[in-house]
Amino acid sequence: MKILTFVKQILDSEAKISLKEDKRSLNFEERFSLNFFDEFAIEEAVRIKEKISNCEVVAISLGSKKAQEVLRTAIAMGADKAVLIETERYEILDPSYTAKVLSAFAQREGFHMIICGERAMDDENGVTGALVGGYLKIPYVGSVVRLEIEGEGKAVAESEINGSFCLYEVTLPAVFSVRKGINEPRVPSVTGVMKAMKMKIPVLEVSSLSPPTSKTQIESYDFPEKRPQVKIIEGATPEEKVKKLITLLREEAKVI
Amino acid sequence: MGDILVFVEHKDESVRKVSYEVLSAGKELKNFYSSRLYAAVIGCGVERISSELKKHADFILTVDEEELRDFVSENYAYVLSQLVQKYKISVVLGSHTGYGKPVLCTLAALLDWAILADLTGFEILGEKILFKKPFFGGRIVSHLSISGDTNAVLTFRPKSLKTGEGDFSGEIVRERIEIKKDERIRLLKSERKEGKKVDIQEADFIICGGRGMKSPENFRILEEIAEIMGGRVGASRSVVDAKWRDYDEQIGKSGKTVSPTIYIGCGVSGAIHHTMGIDTSKTIVAINIDPNAPIFSIADYGIVDDLFTILPLLKEELKKAKEQT
Ligand SMILES: Cc1cc2nc3c(=O)[nH]c(=O)nc-3n(C[C@H](O)[C@H](O)[C@H](O)COP(=O)(O)OP(=O)(O)OC[C@H]3O[C@@H](n4cnc5c(N)ncnc54)[C@H](O)[C@@H]3O)c2cc1C
Ligand SMILES: Nc1ncnc2c1ncn2[C@@H]1O[C@H](COP(=O)(O)O)[C@@H](O)[C@H]1O
Repeated sequence: MKILTFVKQILDSEAKISLKEDKRSLNFEERFSLNFFDEFAIEEAVRIKEKISNCEVVAISLGSKKAQEVLRTAIAMGADKAVLIETERYEILDPSYTAKVLSAFAQREGFHMIICGERAMDDENGVTGALVGGYLKIPYVGSVVRLEIEGEGKAVAESEINGSFCLYEVTLPAVFSVRKGINEPRVPSVTGVMKAMKMKIPVLEVSSLSPPTSKTQIESYDFPEKRPQVKIIEGATPEEKVKKLITLLREEAKVI
Repeated sequence: MGDILVFVEHKDESVRKVSYEVLSAGKELKNFYSSRLYAAVIGCGVERISSELKKHADFILTVDEEELRDFVSENYAYVLSQLVQKYKISVVLGSHTGYGKPVLCTLAALLDWAILADLTGFEILGEKILFKKPFFGGRIVSHLSISGDTNAVLTFRPKSLKTGEGDFSGEIVRERIEIKKDERIRLLKSERKEGKKVDIQEADFIICGGRGMKSPENFRILEEIAEIMGGRVGASRSVVDAKWRDYDEQIGKSGKTVSPTIYIGCGVSGAIHHTMGIDTSKTIVAINIDPNAPIFSIADYGIVDDLFTILPLLKEELKKAKEQT
């Protein structure tokens, strides 16, 4: 069995971001991290591998040279192989562009399962898994909270959809996007880290996967509107504070 | 662009509020393009749902088939793709929810259309439409456009659009579509966890507990307040990681983004990872004993006090306020 796991390097949530003068691009502090949800994806792939024999886990990232770092994390956590599909720079990409490139790679590489994260915390799309399933014309299950392999190329996946838990039986190959809670990602062992440091990570030019032209463009960036200054509610007693709050909610904010 | 189709979501035999939001966006786009607005209702036993929509679209396409009883996104996307072809649709709109997302992504892939996801609004500027979308947990807002006359699928974040009055006199059209059920995926079982409670992303009122709540038992009063207000309890990540509350209540960067009319944070410090999930709420109230808690820099109203004194009083006052209205 061959499992592909998609991992993305994203701008760290603590990194400073500012707008360039023309508002068409961003300046940011060079601090990156592995996308939060992708840790669960790697962990799930490695757990499946540990349960069955003859299983290989390949981590793939589309990103800049620097994205090798997240691939090394995947190796340290137990992936067997990693491939970087290199794009020139860090940027927010058109979602169908990303999904097409990843699909083209998956098709070329061959696989039984693709496990990705539920959402990337930079573009916040949460669409890649479903698009890849669609492009490759194979089943997709999102928001997976439990994943088990059954004999004869089948998997059972439990998914949370708007507060309902749905259990699906899926014929492989298939794509799964996983959410927090599916597992507890491990801290890589020392030997894992050593292995990851030594591993040579093959780099593939994105152009070799005949990427499509993007159909959507980012015209400009802005900061969100600032919220007004907080009103701290003063009062001699807690009763008074609560009463004042209710009055403000009713008469000023007009929300009750 | 030509005609517009909205994928309607329903629950408990009625249209979900998120779909009315998307239908009102559809109406605005329809007026801009002088085109027709279609609503697609897909499922099994959805007759009544369609009649609910007469005021909200020109045509309500109803696909009512036994094979669509189970929610399998591939089957729903297939049905939509048939409707798109038959009615020469060029834009499909839906909500960015557990149902909408997989269906609309699969559809975009099937049709090989562009997709813009989790949008929070749009602006019509002359001939161009700019779609608004937050990036980096809402730290940056971007304005996106679609090339030329590219067909597109658009998903909107729940509660980010206004619902307008419906003034259509729509026609219900029953569609018979032969469902090529995808045999590779089968729903074995489905269990509703939250009963008839509103979805947290659709809730108008959220009272969120943080580590300052001290123990899982203390969340009882938050539940009572949520019940009074017809809303939901939310939780910070610390509380979820401590297993006091379930992950589906987690609000923030690695949880859910919510935009209620009222959000009340109780014993929540307001770390950036948390506030990223609430900054599109209409009114934010914070109750925290520490006057320097970062949540006060995002809140509209703050009470600096012990939450254990404030919450019982708040419960009584909200109850009174509710009874008056
Ligand atoms: C990658 C990443 C993703 C994350 N994602 C999320 C996320 O999605 N959601 C999220 O919430 N966090 C997230 N976090 C964690 C976040 O950084 C904070 O650690 C977390 O939000 C803190 O939770 P808290 O406010 O409940 O607890 P604390 O920070 O411990 O705050 C408790 C607050 O309660 C107050 N308090 C205590 N006693 C009382 C009392 N009696 N009365 C009134 N107030 C009282 C204290 O003054 C304090 O402000 C993430 C972190 C990382 C690194
Ligand atoms: N550039 C990328 N490289 C590798 N994986 C990606 C990339 N973009 C998205 N993914 C995967 O798709 C998931 C969802 O991303 P998104 O649809 O962008 O929110 C992520 O959690 C990753 O697993």
